Amino acid sequence: MIKAGFIGFGRMGITHFSILNSHPDVEIVAVCDQSRMMLNILKKYLSVATYADYHQMMESESMDCIIISTPSDSHSEIIRTAVENNMHVFCEKPFCLNTEDGKRIVENINHKSLVNQVGYVNRFNEVFEEVKKLLEQNLIGDIRYFTSEMHGATVLKDSKSGWRSNRETGGGCLYDFGSHCIDLVVYLLGPPDRISGTILQSVYSSEVEDMVSSNFIYDNGIRGSVFINWSDETYRKPANIITLFGTHGKIIADKHAVKIYLKESQPQQNLNKGWNTRYITDFSKSVRMYVRGNEFTRQLDHFVSCISGNTLNNTIGFNEALKTDIIIKNIIIDANPDQVKNADSDSVLLTDMQPKAKPMWRKILNGRGVSL
Amino acid sequence: MIDRIILGDNQFFGINHMSEQKASALSEKFMDLRNILNVIDAAYDCGIRALMLNTNDRAKGICDYLRENSSRYSDFCLYPSMPYAHKYANSVAQKGIFTTIKETIISGNSFGDIIQLVTKGGSTLFEKDMIKVMQLLVDVEMKMFRGLQVKVIFLQNIVTDLLLGFCLKEIFMAFSDYVQSRYGIEAGFITMNMPRLLELLLESGMENPIVCSAINKSGYLMNPDIASYEAVLRKKSFRPIAMSIMASGAIVPEDAVRYVSAFPSIGSIVFGASSEHHLNETKQLIERYSGLKNNADRVCDS
Repeated sequence: MIKAGFIGFGRMGITHFSILNSHPDVEIVAVCDQSRMMLNILKKYLSVATYADYHQMMESESMDCIIISTPSDSHSEIIRTAVENNMHVFCEKPFCLNTEDGKRIVENINHKSLVNQVGYVNRFNEVFEEVKKLLEQNLIGDIRYFTSEMHGATVLKDSKSGWRSNRETGGGCLYDFGSHCIDLVVYLLGPPDRISGTILQSVYSSEVEDMVSSNFIYDNGIRGSVFINWSDETYRKPANIITLFGTHGKIIADKHAVKIYLKESQPQQNLNKGWNTRYITDFSKSVRMYVRGNEFTRQLDHFVSCISGNTLNNTIGFNEALKTDIIIKNIIIDANPDQVKNADSDSVLLTDMQPKAKPMWRKILNGRGVSL
Repeated sequence: MIDRIILGDNQFFGINHMSEQKASALSEKFMDLRNILNVIDAAYDCGIRALMLNTNDRAKGICDYLRENSSRYSDFCLYPSMPYAHKYANSVAQKGIFTTIKETIISGNSFGDIIQLVTKGGSTLFEKDMIKVMQLLVDVEMKMFRGLQVKVIFLQNIVTDLLLGFCLKEIFMAFSDYVQSRYGIEAGFITMNMPRLLELLLESGMENPIVCSAINKSGYLMNPDIASYEAVLRKKSFRPIAMSIMASGAIVPEDAVRYVSAFPSIGSIVFGASSEHHLNETKQLIERYSGLKNNADRVCDS
């Protein structure tokens, strides 16, 4: 039995608890949260130990893994402590606000056999998994251009309270929505070599941005745009849309459907010349317990499977999630000419990321016949 | 008696599990309340007498219309599902769970209720009695249905499944007891994990529970798998209601209805339609296959 502890019990913590509590190989032993009210309710209704201080929880409880769903600025410190205590770690996105912290954690964890995962849940959506497969099969040829968009109606007025309204604590549309949107690009195409033309724009918020647009430039010729808006009330739920334009066709995908345009038919894949549409109902896989979407269960079951040794490679470990943190940092720098002095050192960060990222990236792209 | 055919409301609120584009197109079409009411009128005209309605803001307008036309809709029944979780999602993200619940209760209850809440301990009420908090939330959600016929009050699937993961059977029991005692109406539960929920409800001693879940031949939104669903549909004693029978359009109507009709225990089908043609087509199919099923039953019985 894998013993798990929870740190942070807001909306995501509660969702993760519901999913893991029903896992046959997991026993949740403790929960840590700053809300005394929440802890008292948990004490009354559930048989878990409760703590207001995670250090104390880690000292007192014997746990194999920890699920972190706290505000983003606390991630690095909690992860460091968990790793020191030899715990496997699942942490909500984004990984670390400070990329230097992130790099140190990645270096430390590489010396230990600890499973580490960040909650980039789009990687467990069956449609995006299908898009990844199609790209690896070189279906639409060399990618020339992409757009990655994320829209939602999360902020529809200026709210000065709460950590999401403060950049320092990981607030703003770029960290909150943008990290998902950018991770999807990293997942499908790898990280860019340069960022340019970034605009961070407010719609309602006075302290943080509500919209982001930025251009991603790759040395292999791929160009792309990222557009993020969390103040669009025409969307009922947050939605990711990715469009990939290649030399042999085009792919447009969201969480529910993928549209594929091909210049030539691909009979072996049952794809016609012209437009083809495949829906989530074609790929959807049932899960043992569905809470808010099966991708949430699939990501945590993947984490448990990695701990059990049934799955060897974690597809979204800290090393992979750090790429998105570094891209976000460079987007912020690109948007702020005042920080041009820092930009020099930070743009090196983006370049630094490539030697580590490129072997895997290069392998995938070479498989697709893309010349670098 | 639960209606055999219940009109679903997902299409009115831009919900389509298969395609965000389709969802967006529906949302655009039904932005104008009149277009929703036209579909309800058409449903009534073709003989449908039941509507499942999630407690979102648009539902208020629908309820107002049904009240204003109470003579025409005197035999029309509503099946509310609550809460509409997305309504609360942003507030929970920004303000936290307790502030959201408190604000909801305060905005939706009368002065007397709030006084009662405060005298019962205000914020500490959450710690002392979550069941009371649940009851106050039900009352807030039920306000929009005053004066209308309600047959079953459903707990919406996001909340049902979240509580299911927590194994909080006492909340399910309390919800069921409360809607029965306060409103004289039976409780139902919508879930994406029907076999697991059913096991918990039956274990808790709930008799013949009403459980609404996706039931379709492709196994879409049926967790953990279609085989477990088919097994409980054949063996367990409960009142299943089938939704998503066409898997958001992936299954043609006739195949969808034929599959569901093969399970005699399924007493009701919820389906969404956004045109008169689809309403009539699906209703006739359900009636045709229900008739076939009944004939088949009679043959077996004899």
